[in-house]
Amino acid sequence: MKITRLVFSGLLLLGLALFPLLLPNPYYIHLLVVIGIYAILLFGLDIVVGYTGEISLGHAGLFGIGAYTAGIVFTTVGAPFWLALPAAIAVTAAFGAVLAMPALRVTGPYLAMVTLAFGTIVQILINEMDFLTRGPQGLQVLKPMLLEHRMTVVDFYYFTLASVLLALLVVHHTLKSYIGRSFEALRGSPVACDCMGVSVYRSKVLAFVMSAGFAGLAGGLYAFSEEYIAPSSFNFELAILFLLAVTLGGRKTRSGSVLGAAIVVLLPNLLSDIDLFRQLTVLIACLVAIGAGYAVLRTRTTLRQLTVPLVALAVFVIFAFTLEDIAEHRLSIFGLLILGVVYYLPDGIVGYLRALVKRFRPQWVPAHETIAEHGDAANVWSAPSCGAGGEPLLEASGIVMQFGGLKALNEVDLQVAAGRIHGLIGPNGSGKSTMMNVLTGIYTPTQGDISFAGQSIGGCTSSHIALRGVARTFQNVQLFGEMTAIENVMVGLTHTYELTLIDVVLRTGRYRRQEHEARVSAANLLDFVGLGDMHNEEARHLPYGKQRLLEIARALALSPSLLLLDEPAAGIPPADLPELTAMIRKIREHGIAVVLIEHHMDLVMGVCDRISVLDFGQKIAEGAAGEIQSDPRVIAAYLGGEATAQPA
Amino acid sequence: MDMLLQILFSGIALGMIYAVIAFGYQLTFATSGTLNFGQGEALAIGALIGLSVVDRIGNYWLTIPVVLLAGAIYGIGVERLGVRPALKAKSEGWIMATIALGIIMKNIAENIWGRDDLKFPSPVSEAPLHLFGASVLPMEIIVIVGALALMLAVELFNRKSIYGKAIAATAADREAAGLMGINTGQVITFSYALSCAAAAFAGILIAPLTLTGASMGAALGLKAFAVAIIGGLTSGLGVIIGGLILGLAETFTGFYLSTGYKDVPGLVLLLLVLAFKPAGLFGKTAIKKV
Repeated sequence: MKITRLVFSGLLLLGLALFPLLLPNPYYIHLLVVIGIYAILLFGLDIVVGYTGEISLGHAGLFGIGAYTAGIVFTTVGAPFWLALPAAIAVTAAFGAVLAMPALRVTGPYLAMVTLAFGTIVQILINEMDFLTRGPQGLQVLKPMLLEHRMTVVDFYYFTLASVLLALLVVHHTLKSYIGRSFEALRGSPVACDCMGVSVYRSKVLAFVMSAGFAGLAGGLYAFSEEYIAPSSFNFELAILFLLAVTLGGRKTRSGSVLGAAIVVLLPNLLSDIDLFRQLTVLIACLVAIGAGYAVLRTRTTLRQLTVPLVALAVFVIFAFTLEDIAEHRLSIFGLLILGVVYYLPDGIVGYLRALVKRFRPQWVPAHETIAEHGDAANVWSAPSCGAGGEPLLEASGIVMQFGGLKALNEVDLQVAAGRIHGLIGPNGSGKSTMMNVLTGIYTPTQGDISFAGQSIGGCTSSHIALRGVARTFQNVQLFGEMTAIENVMVGLTHTYELTLIDVVLRTGRYRRQEHEARVSAANLLDFVGLGDMHNEEARHLPYGKQRLLEIARALALSPSLLLLDEPAAGIPPADLPELTAMIRKIREHGIAVVLIEHHMDLVMGVCDRISVLDFGQKIAEGAAGEIQSDPRVIAAYLGGEATAQPA
Repeated sequence: MDMLLQILFSGIALGMIYAVIAFGYQLTFATSGTLNFGQGEALAIGALIGLSVVDRIGNYWLTIPVVLLAGAIYGIGVERLGVRPALKAKSEGWIMATIALGIIMKNIAENIWGRDDLKFPSPVSEAPLHLFGASVLPMEIIVIVGALALMLAVELFNRKSIYGKAIAATAADREAAGLMGINTGQVITFSYALSCAAAAFAGILIAPLTLTGASMGAALGLKAFAVAIIGGLTSGLGVIIGGLILGLAETFTGFYLSTGYKDVPGLVLLLLVLAFKPAGLFGKTAIKKV
């Protein structure tokens, strides 16, 4: 498969390199240049749309910023070409950071509207700041001089081709590295991301900045390719067009971006010829009809389900043959295309083809990179030595957590000793999970102090606390569902990478060594929790109990000195409980302190060195298992009755 | 001083228009967690249909029910074609789908009514009244009264009628409402009908004050979203105050800076509110559960 792909890419590249010689038509060459420019932008847009899962309607604005920066730096300032493009990238990336600000606080439709507002502001500013941009009359940008002569269309074609290849290399290597994994993790569960020491803040800003950088490069190239830019080019429609292209081509694939770019650039040209448009319509209708017939024959779908799309398609064909002036209906066709893609091709053309091939040759299209590294017994995971244990590690004092009028935690003190297992029990709603969230920085306590290993961590961010050595699992499993088990663990190992962006892009020796080490450690951790044979299984497809074990492995990847387990036994069959108990003990043997929230009393009483009991947000008892079991207040909290009842 | 008062009045009128559209966003966001990205097109359609009807029958007031009905039909169409399939699939496809429907609608409107802006005849005298020394257009007063009346009517309906209870229940918890026998699909469709009818109504309110055309809605829809966010998507009073803030900010910018920049303060305000207080000035911040 790899060889086929290599040969195919080689042939494609050769074809593109020879294209201007074989077909020296400036119009076609220019079209290819525009496709290349759009492809660069879509690589960037895909980081935001495909990997972090947000919708950006602001990329037309970023594209415009890139184009105008390059144009102004080159024309008005008079700087050379080789400075204009980097300037375009840098300025646009800076605007990407601005766009990331609201993106940190909001997601989904909110963010879509914000990016739309951003795009609109950019267009207005370009229009109004005529002292800089010449306003509505536009800016003329001649192609740069190259060795005594002005760059021709063909010269620029080769330059764009080289830029596309460079962009492809950068984006592909980055997204396939730990950076890409952190973007994907962001979509899976932002909270878990932070608690794995992968700062949501940094990842989101990086995603937007990178994405904007590509938009800036594309915009800069666009200015030189078109030789004239005007504010009206960078409108809302263009933003939608980019989104359509990235969805239609296929998200999270580079081939999808290139394909999407080619379609949206060529489509208007095809649509300008009404006969060609009609032929295309009929062709698509036939393809869909055949596909639908096949699906019905294979009883994959019923005729009823297919009525709506088939009727819509029939109406569209009639529409195609009755309309006279296609230009008038351009936007309607565009809108229908978006609707069609949203509902019938959500994974894009590349996604559809992959699904098709997968049906016949599953091994050809793995959804994930198969990670074959195995753990080695000689190199099992290790935690920082915490000494013999017993000295205080975590000290929370006087914690108050107030939600409106409700005090979920009221003056709770908690001390956890290094290398010990500390149970935290209490009836439902007693504040156990709230305590966990306070300790890991998800909630900032209303009052009280937390110190860890002698330093205060009150008010620190979750990712900061995680990197200091506090790892956790979640009561409601917070895995990165669409990533494989081993990838989940590797997100936890992000802190082990010490690389620069250059290492990642060039895949230097350092990068390959660290990546290999991370893979081996991840495999070791999976072996440890008993998921050794499920490395490349998607996390969401694992049974519930195994998902909980995977969370433990992921948490251990942080090399914590304190591990917070929130109901690890939930969903684990009773027969497997002894194994879990043994695992928790083994974690302690590594010198890691454990805070255990659990409702299985035999498990809690069996492993805990010390137990704290919460009820209605207050600590009502603390001590060894035996003391707790006979404490009247604990019995009262669990079984009801007077808290002051005398022991029998 | 008179000038100031005059700007104040037009600002308030404009703000009320935003408030009505934003109110429409709130309606659908409450029931379904979605909103119509083509709301501006619903407004333009309302204004254009209103214009055609006024041309036929010559009475502005009689066009109101026609426009409300047209808006409601458009809303039902958007919900059926754009939102329901996405809600079923639990995807965010509705964002792109409602945008696409808006684009199609705008294109159809352009083909019917043309690309040029049209003049909407004013139902009342266009001679300014003199209130407290400022000249105020009678239409501006109608806009303010009409907008408040519409929002009040919908609020009363939501609070007093049993159907309003169904909407409130769906808004509070869609699944639980479904289990209690409320047809939540219908409630969502209804909220879309109401939302787009409100936008269409805003269209004929503002049309006599500006020009009417297929592209009149896009900027209004976006800025109304800013209002909905500033006021908070969950706060009814918030949209009125948000509308006032934005309407005034905009007319003052238009007067003192340049009309070219008049869209900027609203959008900047939107970015700032979302960056620092995403729940809006009057919305409640949700506590994230882990």
